[in-house]
Amino acid sequence: MTAFMTGARIAAAGLVLLLASACTAPAPPRGEASTAAGTVCAPPQGTPLAETATTIDVIEQAYFCILGDYYSGATLDARSLLTAGIAALAQELDRDGRDLPRAGMPTLTGDRKADWAAFETTYRKITDQVPDLRDKLAVVTLEAIVAALGDDHAKWTHDVKQPPDHYDGDGYGLGLEANVDASQADGNLGVALAPLFVTTVPGGAAQAAGLRPGDIIQSINGSAPFIDGQATPAITALYPRYPQARPVKLRLLRQSSGRRWSVTLKPGLYQRDLATLQVVRSKLLDDDIAYVRMTEFAPDSADRVLRAISRLRKGRTLSGVVLDLRGNSGGSPMEATRLVSAFVHGKVTAYHCTMDGTCAASRTDDTVELIDLPLVVLTDRSCASACEHFGSAVKDLGIGRLVGTRTAGVISGPAQAYLLGNNTLLSFPAQHHLGPDREVVDGIGVPSDHHVPLTPQDAAAGRDPALAKALTLLHE
Amino acid sequence: MRMDLSMRQLLAAAAGLAVLAAAACSAPAPPRSDAVSAVPPGPATLPAPTGAHPVGTAVLYLRDTSRPDPWNLDADARELKVTLWYPTGQRDGQRAPYMTPKESELLLKGSGIASAPYDTLSKTRTNAIKDAEPAGRKLPLVVMSPGFTKPMSTLTSLAEDLASRGYVVAGIDHTYESYATTFPDGRVAECLACDSNSDPGFGARMVQGRAADVSFVLDQLPSKWDGSDRIDRSRIAMVGQSIGGSSAMSTMLEDPRVRAGIDMDGTAYARIPKSGLSRPFMFLGSAQHVSGGPAPTWDRDWRLLTGWKRWIVLTGAEHQSFTDTPLLSDALGIKPTTGVLPAARAAELTRTYVAAFLDQHLKSQRQSLLDKPSPRYPEATFCPATCTPP
Repeated sequence: MTAFMTGARIAAAGLVLLLASACTAPAPPRGEASTAAGTVCAPPQGTPLAETATTIDVIEQAYFCILGDYYSGATLDARSLLTAGIAALAQELDRDGRDLPRAGMPTLTGDRKADWAAFETTYRKITDQVPDLRDKLAVVTLEAIVAALGDDHAKWTHDVKQPPDHYDGDGYGLGLEANVDASQADGNLGVALAPLFVTTVPGGAAQAAGLRPGDIIQSINGSAPFIDGQATPAITALYPRYPQARPVKLRLLRQSSGRRWSVTLKPGLYQRDLATLQVVRSKLLDDDIAYVRMTEFAPDSADRVLRAISRLRKGRTLSGVVLDLRGNSGGSPMEATRLVSAFVHGKVTAYHCTMDGTCAASRTDDTVELIDLPLVVLTDRSCASACEHFGSAVKDLGIGRLVGTRTAGVISGPAQAYLLGNNTLLSFPAQHHLGPDREVVDGIGVPSDHHVPLTPQDAAAGRDPALAKALTLLHE
Repeated sequence: MRMDLSMRQLLAAAAGLAVLAAAACSAPAPPRSDAVSAVPPGPATLPAPTGAHPVGTAVLYLRDTSRPDPWNLDADARELKVTLWYPTGQRDGQRAPYMTPKESELLLKGSGIASAPYDTLSKTRTNAIKDAEPAGRKLPLVVMSPGFTKPMSTLTSLAEDLASRGYVVAGIDHTYESYATTFPDGRVAECLACDSNSDPGFGARMVQGRAADVSFVLDQLPSKWDGSDRIDRSRIAMVGQSIGGSSAMSTMLEDPRVRAGIDMDGTAYARIPKSGLSRPFMFLGSAQHVSGGPAPTWDRDWRLLTGWKRWIVLTGAEHQSFTDTPLLSDALGIKPTTGVLPAARAAELTRTYVAAFLDQHLKSQRQSLLDKPSPRYPEATFCPATCTPP
């Protein structure tokens, strides 16, 4: 599970783990699966058993796990985590109309263990008075503690459920994707740019309602997606997750016809084209360009890309390679390094550094055969994590040009998953990521060499200006 | 993910080790020292078939030029190896090889097993006589489909038993979905599908492809196998393990010639229409597939089975209990796990319940074994009524 993952990816990984139970060996004995003292964190062994309720013991385990193993765990002010927890708990009580006179913060001293004891005492006093809210309060508390790290690769994955009628390959939601993707809507709204428009319609309610790429979304449930150019949380409603099923009302504008209308889309399962779900797809363009699209740095994906290129190369002379990483949500840093290794040898692709500045270099694997062809990489704001590891290496090492838009800036460091006592997964990085020039990429992203954003007009007309630019560059 | 147990996971589990959960159900091999017993005891012998007839076997190679291979983008046709098992009058002759030394090597390497010489599985003793003359007439046909990464030969014990009971079995090696498939010109197709098994929709794509493989084999059998005039083509069923079991469902949805099917411990990927599937179907699985369990695809599909149906979970079974794998463990120097069905018992249960289903639905012989729990086979629990999540 050591992998760069964005929030959405981690949720997906949770699903995957859930599904994996279909095929895995019997779960390990409980003694191995859950940590004995409840305060140590250990990677999951085997498929986790069914989730149980989150308790104060689980929160305690997460707290000490973070302090023990998180990047800045040894030095961070643990009081900030506990304060964030109580703040969220108090907010939830108030929201439920159940505020309590003693629902305040205990006095903390800076002693991590003593502060935990004080926190636990307060927490128990509060939750004992509202037993019906206990589970919900535990969830918001732990979510807030993890969020207080402010780390885009820190995530607590819990309550992952599949719709009972789900089939392999099905999507869930409204059946549309917009230029602000689910991962951005989920916590990286700062990078979103107006206007909000539909980019693809893979199925479901959006397809049934006749939505098309390029349609501008002017409001979501009556709220504006952008106010003064700043994205609003209203956009989050575009990407409901099961069991969220409340219909979403969209006000739309189709610029080509000037039509303005409203639709109400009900979230649900929808079938997707299985061919489009393949992580690596390739084709020959203009008879001399190998075009390879890769949606994830999944296991074996670097080799799949390389095999696709050599296949397209058979019997002809290629002018270059277009690697389309738009929408690539990341995956394994090892795959990113392996793919860089096909374009340059003897270099460092990234550094993973601990808080005290000790860095491990990810060096190219010089046994990978060099492709020795001009490279253009298509990037966008959805290219996250391992995708940015690759993108920053391409840029810093001068092995190709980036066309499109800046990457997501979601690459704090490679996340490790830990199993908590209630069979939920806590994941966070122990090191932070730096590019080959030892520069921070997280929060900033990798800027493209040729800025070619997608417009609603392009999307409506089925044009791909970034790909066109890439082909032009390779034919120069 | 989502695919079913690879042999190495089984073996890791069999060695009593914790298995790493990975999306693609591939796991690092267990430490050898824990998995290996001191002296491997020599080649495995498959249990004798229980039916009245001696068994013959033959291999066919078919080529479907109507579609490109789904995995090898450079192959404009789909090539398939089909192994037939059938009743014969011939009692003597050369026993068919289990697999080639090369296939054994690729399977063991792919499964991360190094506890025995790589050619070990090629020495496995089978019961079927190679290229024996078929016997009988109006024989029902059973199509068989193995698990992902597995050659068809990993279901030989079941295939031989069914043939001895008067069935023709046509087992398909789904090319590039197994670690090794040998073609007559000596080419060995390896597992091209193995690099994409964590893709979303991978299982759904694979069972669609396998349905097409089966339909093509049914089309071709009459012209490609001399014994096929002994088959009663109105009586065809399909049985598979793991994704091969899910492929039994996907095939029945596409091809009405297949009248009945069994999914042995396979997560279900085929989309049954809302109108349901009315032909007989049986789920036969391990505890992973109890109702309300962690792998809910059988719960989902149970409601959509509108005809005769059964859902039987064998206590103590694990994913490979329905295959030859446990029978081969000794030869590979792998100790059985306590609490898991012993190899011989797993084979007996699998053979018994599969044959009962086929006898009922292809031979119209009512089987009380399928109606209720049996004192002779207390391991068999009937879901969803009497089985519960672990």
